[in-house]
Amino acid sequence: MSMSDDTGALDYHRAREAASGGVVASELRFPPARFVAATAVVLVLAGAIHLVGTHGDPAPQLQLSLILGAVFGFVLQRSRFCFLCIWRDWLDRRDPRGLLGILTALAVGIVGYTLIFGAWLPDPSGARLPPTAHIGPVGPVLVLAGLAFGAGMAISGSCISAHWYRLGEGSPTAPFALIGTGFGFGLGFLSWNELYLLSISESAVLWLPRHLGYAGALLGGLGALAALALVLLRVGRPIGGTEAESQAPLHQVFVARWPSWLGGLFVGLVGIAAYLRLSPLGVTAELGSRSRQVANAFDLLPERLEGLDSFRGCATVIRDALLTPNGLFVIGLVLASFCAALASGEFRPSLPRPPQILRGLLGGVLLGWGTLVGLGCTVGTLLSGVSAGAVSGWVFGVALLVGATVTLKLGRRLGVLS
Amino acid sequence: MAGKTRLGWVLGSVLGALASMGAAWANGGPLVTTEWLEQNLANPTLRIVEVSVEPGLYERGHIPGAQNVVWHTDLVETVSRDIATPEKFQALARKLGLDKDTTVVLYGDSNNWFAAWGAWVFDIYGLRDNVKLLDGGRKKWELEKRPVATNPAPVKASGFTVSQPNRTLRARLTDVVNVVEKKSDASILDIRSPDEFSGKIIAPAGFQELALRAGHIPGSVNLPWARAVNQADGTIKPVEELRKLYAEIGIDGSKPIITTCRIGERSSHSWFILSRLLGYQVANYDGSWTEYGNVVGLPINNPAGTVWSGK
Repeated sequence: MSMSDDTGALDYHRAREAASGGVVASELRFPPARFVAATAVVLVLAGAIHLVGTHGDPAPQLQLSLILGAVFGFVLQRSRFCFLCIWRDWLDRRDPRGLLGILTALAVGIVGYTLIFGAWLPDPSGARLPPTAHIGPVGPVLVLAGLAFGAGMAISGSCISAHWYRLGEGSPTAPFALIGTGFGFGLGFLSWNELYLLSISESAVLWLPRHLGYAGALLGGLGALAALALVLLRVGRPIGGTEAESQAPLHQVFVARWPSWLGGLFVGLVGIAAYLRLSPLGVTAELGSRSRQVANAFDLLPERLEGLDSFRGCATVIRDALLTPNGLFVIGLVLASFCAALASGEFRPSLPRPPQILRGLLGGVLLGWGTLVGLGCTVGTLLSGVSAGAVSGWVFGVALLVGATVTLKLGRRLGVLS
Repeated sequence: MAGKTRLGWVLGSVLGALASMGAAWANGGPLVTTEWLEQNLANPTLRIVEVSVEPGLYERGHIPGAQNVVWHTDLVETVSRDIATPEKFQALARKLGLDKDTTVVLYGDSNNWFAAWGAWVFDIYGLRDNVKLLDGGRKKWELEKRPVATNPAPVKASGFTVSQPNRTLRARLTDVVNVVEKKSDASILDIRSPDEFSGKIIAPAGFQELALRAGHIPGSVNLPWARAVNQADGTIKPVEELRKLYAEIGIDGSKPIITTCRIGERSSHSWFILSRLLGYQVANYDGSWTEYGNVVGLPINNPAGTVWSGK
C-alpha cells in the first residue's frame, strides 16, 4: 500500500507530471466554496489575533506568537517544507532543490542570529551564552535522540513541524503522529533521569562563537553550508522546471508550490524574528509541557526530572496559563496552513486507514522521545541550534538524517515503508 | 561629604513625605519616578542598570541606555552561594562605568526584587547614596508604554575601588541566632506570605530552593513585602504610610532590624524601604529560611505543624 498520497514526497513528481500532461495554465480562479472557506479562516485568525492583543497577558508576546505562528504555517504549507520529503527527494531522485532550501534557511538563520548576538553579547569568549538561544549539550544521548527522531520521521512520514502543517491539510496520519509524540514525550520523561545521570550531565555545551569568535563561526557556518550546496549541485540531477504552470503572481503565491529556496528564506527570517522578539523558534514546547502536565496528573512521572529545566532548548516546564506563547504559535501555524491548503486546493482530508494510524502512533512515539532527550526537533534543535552556532544543532541534524535513511532503507526492504 | 549627601536625602525624604505623592522627590531621594527617568535619559552622568531575573528580557528591550546585570551570575558566587566577592564586584562596577559619584538608577522585573537585591549588594560594597531605584520598575515603565531599546549602550569603564564589605548591612546566621537567644535586641521582619510564615507551606509552588522545616524564626514578625507597594503599578507607598504600616507590627526603627524571607531576594525589597526610605538600621539576612530552616536543632516556630514528608 502506498502512503505517498499523504507524505507529500511526490509533490515535485506530481507537479512535473501535471506539467507534462499539459494542464492548461490558468489564471487564479478559486472555486467559490474554497474561497469563502479560506476567507472565513483568515477572518477567524484575524479575530483571534485581535482578541489576544486586547485580552492576552502578556498581550504583546502572545499576539506576536500567534502572528509568527501563522506566518510560519503559511510558509511551511506553501513551500511544503517537510524535512523527510526533502530528504527522500534527494535519496530517491537526487533532487537537490529541497535540501538547498534547508541550507538557505540555515544560512539566513546564522547571519541573522550573528547580527543579534553582536548586540546582545558583544564578547562571546566569556563563560556566558546568549540569552535563551538553543545551545544544548553534545554527547551520545544527543546522537541517540537524532537517530530516534530520524526513524520516527521515516515511519510517521514527516517531522513534527510538518505534521503540524499537515494537520491543516487534513492529513489522516498527522493527528496520530502528534498523539504518538505526546506518548513519546512521556517515555522521554521516564528515561530522562537515568540518561541525565549516565551521560547528559557530563556532556559539554558547545557554542562555536566562543571558540571561533563571531566572525569565525559565521564564516565557518556559511562555508560549511556552501560546501554542502556545492556537493548537492554537483551530484544532484538537474530537474526541469514546471514551465507550463501559470506565471500569474497570485497563482504563484497561493496555488503553485513555492520554490524551496524561497520557503527556506522565509523560514530563516521567521526564526530570526522569533529570536529577536520572543524566543528561538520551536514547535514542541507546548506539546511537551502539556504531555508533562497530563502525565503528572496521573502520577506517572518521577518526582523530579534532574536538570531538565535548566537546559536550553524547547522547554517542557509546566505552565499554569491556558494560553502560552508556544501554544498560540502552534495554533497560528495549523490555522494558517489550513487556510493556505484550502486556497491552493491542497486541503484533502481523508479517513485514516489502520496502517496510517499505526505508523503515525509508532513514528510519533520515536519523534517525541527524540525531541525530549534532544531538547527539540528539526526546528527547535536543528534550525534554531545551527542558527545559534550550537554544535548540538549540527550533531542532531546529522544523526537524524542517518536515522531516517537507515529506517527508510530497512523499511522498504521489509516492504512496510514506501 | 558623605554626611552632607546623607543630610540631602534625609531632607529629600522629608520633602517627599510632605508632598506625600512619590513624584515630588524626583532625584532627591532613593527613588526616582519613571517620568523623571525618561526626562533624564540623555543625561551623560546617569547610569541606568537593569537587574532582572528572566533571561533575555533585557536584551529584547530595555530602558534606552541601560546596562545589564545578570542576577543569576553577576552579583553572586554560584557555587558557594554567596554574594559576589569584592574583586568580582569591583570588576563589574568598573565595566558598567560606575563610581561613588555617579548617579545609578536600578530597575528590574518581578517588582524590582532583584534590582533591590542589587542595591543591597551595591551598598555593601560602598555604592549607596547615589544609587536609586526606579519606582515601579519595569512593570510601570511598560504599563506607561515608555520607549525601550535593544541596542547596547557602550560606556566608559570607571576606576572604581571597592570598599570593605559593610558588615552591618548583612545579617549572618549567628546574628539571627543571637536574636533568638536574646543576646541581641534586633527585630526580625519576615516578609514571606502568611502561609509560609505559619508553616502551612514550606515554599510557594514552583520554587526549587527549599527548607526541610516549616515555619519561622522564633520572635520574628510577619509583614508580606507586597503590603508596602501599590498593587496597580508596583510603586512604593508614601513614606508616612510605610512608617505607620511597619510601626503597627513593632518595627519603628528604635531597634536594629533584620529582614528575611526564603532566599533573601524579596526581603531586599523590604530592606530597601526600611533602610533607604525610612532610614532605619537594617541588615538583610540573605541566608533566610533556606539556611535557618535547614539548620539541625535550631529552635523554630511552626504554628501549622507541617512536617517534611510526614505521613
